[in-house]
Formats: sequence, C-alpha cells, structure tokens
Amino acid sequence: MKKNLIKTGCLAIGLCLGAFQAQALDGAVVIANSSVAADSLSADALKDILTGKTKYWDGGQAVIITILPDKTDAALQQACGMDTSAFKTFWQRLAFSGRGQEPKKAADAAELVQIVATTKGAIAIVPADAALTGVKKLEIK
Amino acid sequence: MKNSKRTHSAILALTATIMAAGGAQAYELKLGTNMPPIDIHGFASQGFLASTKYNYLANNTKDGSFKFSEAAVNVSMNPFPRTHIAAQGFLFDVGNVGQYYPALDYASIDYTFCDQFGVRAGRIRRPEGIYNAIQDVDLARTSILLPQGMYDARYRDFSGSIDGGSLFGNVNMSKAGSFSYEAYLGNVNLTDDGGIARLLQDDFGKAPTQYKGVEGFTEGGVQLWWNTPIDGLRAGFAMYDALGFGYKYNVNIPPNLGGGLYHAQLDSPTEHYSLEYTVKNWTFQTEYKHNGYESYTVHNGVSTGGVVHSAADVWYAGAAYRFNKWFETGVYYTEDYANVDDRDGSKTGKGSDAYQKDLALSLRFDPKPWWVIKAEVHYIRGTALLDDNLDNPSRNGDGWFMLAMKTTVSF
Repeated sequence: MKKNLIKTGCLAIGLCLGAFQAQALDGAVVIANSSVAADSLSADALKDILTGKTKYWDGGQAVIITILPDKTDAALQQACGMDTSAFKTFWQRLAFSGRGQEPKKAADAAELVQIVATTKGAIAIVPADAALTGVKKLEIK
Repeated sequence: MKNSKRTHSAILALTATIMAAGGAQAYELKLGTNMPPIDIHGFASQGFLASTKYNYLANNTKDGSFKFSEAAVNVSMNPFPRTHIAAQGFLFDVGNVGQYYPALDYASIDYTFCDQFGVRAGRIRRPEGIYNAIQDVDLARTSILLPQGMYDARYRDFSGSIDGGSLFGNVNMSKAGSFSYEAYLGNVNLTDDGGIARLLQDDFGKAPTQYKGVEGFTEGGVQLWWNTPIDGLRAGFAMYDALGFGYKYNVNIPPNLGGGLYHAQLDSPTEHYSLEYTVKNWTFQTEYKHNGYESYTVHNGVSTGGVVHSAADVWYAGAAYRFNKWFETGVYYTEDYANVDDRDGSKTGKGSDAYQKDLALSLRFDPKPWWVIKAEVHYIRGTALLDDNLDNPSRNGDGWFMLAMKTTVSF
C-alpha cells in the first residue's frame, strides 16, 4: 500500500513536470505545417532547428522557420538562447553566405498562422492565445 | 569610369527606392504548386571614409571619399528534399578596388544526408573565422570596418570564395555541446583588376620593376566550431593552405645585370583561432590569425634564392552592446604585424610599415528593420596596411585618425 502511494505520488509529480515542460515557452506554443510528421519535439531539437543545425525534417522536407517579431521575443529567447536581434543577425550570416534561408516574417499572429498553414515544412512560435487554424501544434518535451 | 559612375548611381538609386518605399520585404518568387518558391534577398550600402594623415582603403581619404559602396542580390531555394541551392551576385567599390564590377560571389548546391554530414559544390564562400564568409554583409555586425589585418576589404578576391567543394556537418555531443565542421578544397581565380593584383601593381609598379600579372591558386582548409554547453559561447579553429599563388614582374635592367621576367610563387599555411560569446545584450569576440609564407622566385628557369620562410600575424579583441532594438555600440582593438620576427620594424628597416594598431569605436542605429546607419572612429598607429604605396609616399609611426560612416538598406 505504502509502495503504491509512493508510485502514485511519483507518477503525479512526473505528470505535473511533463505538463510544465509541455508549456515550457512563455506565453507561446510551437506550431507546424500539417506536412510535418512530428507531433512533438524535444527542447534540444527545437533549439537545433532555430539555430540552423537541423535544416530538414526526417522526410527531407526543408524546415521553414517563420517568426513574429516583437510578439514572441521572450519565447524565442527561451527556445534558442538568442534575443530577436541576435537571432536576426545569426540568420543573416547564414543566408548571406549561402548556408541557409532567412526565416520568414509575419506582421501578426493571424498572418503567421496563415503562412505556416500554407508552407510545407514551416514551423513557428506563436502566441498561446492565437487562433490555430489549419496547423498542428507541436508539444515541446 | 563612366560605367563605374553609372553603377554607383544605380546603387544610390536602389538605396533611395527602398527607403522611399518604406522598406521592402524579401521577395518570394513562386514557381507553381509543385515547386518550392525562390527566396530573393539583397542589400545596398553607401559609405564615407575620411582620414587625417594617410590615404587608407580608398585612395583619397584625406579629402574624404565616397568610394565605399557595396550591393548584392541573392537567391535561394530547396528544390528537392535535403537539397539547397543558393547564389549571390555582388559588386563593390573601395578606392580603386572592385570598381562596381559585378561578380558571382557564390553559387552552390548542397545536399544534407543528415545533420552530421552534407556535401556542397560550386562557388563557395570560404569559411574562416567569425567573418570571412560574411565580410561583405554590413548588416551582420556592429562595426563598419572589420579588423583589416584579418578581413581586409580590398582583398576579397583573394579570400572570399573558392570554386570547388566542401563537406560539412554538425555533431551533437550531448552535455559537451556540439561540434560543427566544414572542410573545403578548390581554386581561387584572380584577375588583374582585383585587390591583390592592385597591391602587387603598387609594389612592382615602380621603376625598375613592372608588374606583369597574377595567377590563381589552389586552396584547401577546414573550419571547426565547438558550440559549448554554455549558451552563446563558441570556440573556433581554422586552418588552410593557399598553394601556388603566383605573380610575375619584370625587372627593367639589362639581362646581364639580372633583368628580365621573374616568376614568384607563394604557399601560405594559415591558422586562425576564434572565440565568441553572446550573453544577454553583449557580444564579446577575439580572434588570432597566423599566416606562414613560403616563397620562392624563379628567373630564367633558375630559383633566385631558394625558399624564403616568413610569417605575419594579427589579433583583435572587441565587445558590442545592444541598448535596444535601435542602438548598438561596439569597440575593438587590433594589432597587425607584417613580420612576426620584426614587430617594431627595427630589424628590417621597415619602421612603421611593420605594424598597424587600431582602436575602433562604433555606433549602430537601426531606425527600421531594413535600414542601418553606422558611424565609427579609428585611432591608428603604424602603416603596415597602407598598401597603396603610391597614395602614401612618406610615412612614420605617428598616430592618425579615420572616420567611417555607412548606411545599408536590405530586403
């Protein structure tokens, strides 16, 4: 009985931690185009995508990063360790040396969701209260 | 010259057009439902250089010079799975170098088998240190002039790109961070109107010698980066060898006194160390580069003195701070030595031509995401990089100032 209580307690703590980690980004969630096979990403995998180390999804589709300047800065910083300015400079360095494609930019959350919905391989960090239509939400573990 | 003026006017017109339009978004060229689009980006820069004592970079900076411009357009796409194509056309003018002659900066295709391994072929921007592959991109840094002993704006034809291939990848090392690499091999094509030819023309353009031409060479090397477990901290090491860079000059004295055509060749094994740390609004950088030179000269089929060994080195350390999305400031200090065995010029009698030490203070203002304005002051001692001999007939080691200003628009 005592062992069962401990197991149950551990499970509950684990579930709480899991829930906490799944919403690890401040006020934001990660979305992707429906062509993306993955339903979840580890925090490290998300960071590798945002820092250009992973440029293709498992099936070979190019990762198309889309950002919403000024609206998701804290979450971007949390996800890749760079603020918006550093992120922009980082990708300009890759793009202007022929080693990557600059992230697309959206003017507002609705446009961001629209771009992700219509662009194969697209991924984005979007405010948690945005209406998500035609995209899939990726769990961040 | 007329063509240069027309092109300069075109850059200014492009700059003005982008500004008048209130900025421009990157352009996306759609090719139909089954093909991914082509992304098109570009930038145009116009700068101004003024110096107090010597003419530097441009050839009339003592009077102030606007001959400091750059423009580029690049295209990229992912036409097939794991395949990326990118190309960039570029033109620039720094004094007598560049002259707005349009050049293919890079045009490459790469295939990424997995994160750890990919191949790239074509004309490739050569990875070396923090800035070599992006030294043309004013947008991607705080300063206007990079430390010139390491990233000289005049010799981009020598250092910028190779025609060949590379292997690249990124290896995750779990708690030890990650490790990225790019190893390359290819040819560097030089022309008589490029920066390195201009340097040689100045060196050998005085009687009794006469510059007769420059030759391309083979270059192989590798750039390694360790992205440490500490966010924003990375350490780099690069090494390469420029094999068989050659040039010819004529000595206009009677043949029996040693006159005639001389053919000089140079191998240049080089090591380059980098450290960069980006934390919060700060960026700290330091780099060190050591160039070895193994040169020999042939006259009438006979070596004139065996292989001559020498070495040069350069280092810098700097920091930049971003106040907010509009303002950023930076400072760096750099020292360049033309001969590591004669750092003060006393042994070879080169005097101040043996070194150049530069303290630079920069201010960057981004009024719009697509528009950058910069101003920068340099206090310089030494004259090692005043390669434009004809523009600076007399020199000494006294300090001198340089002012640089630049604006860049991008889309």
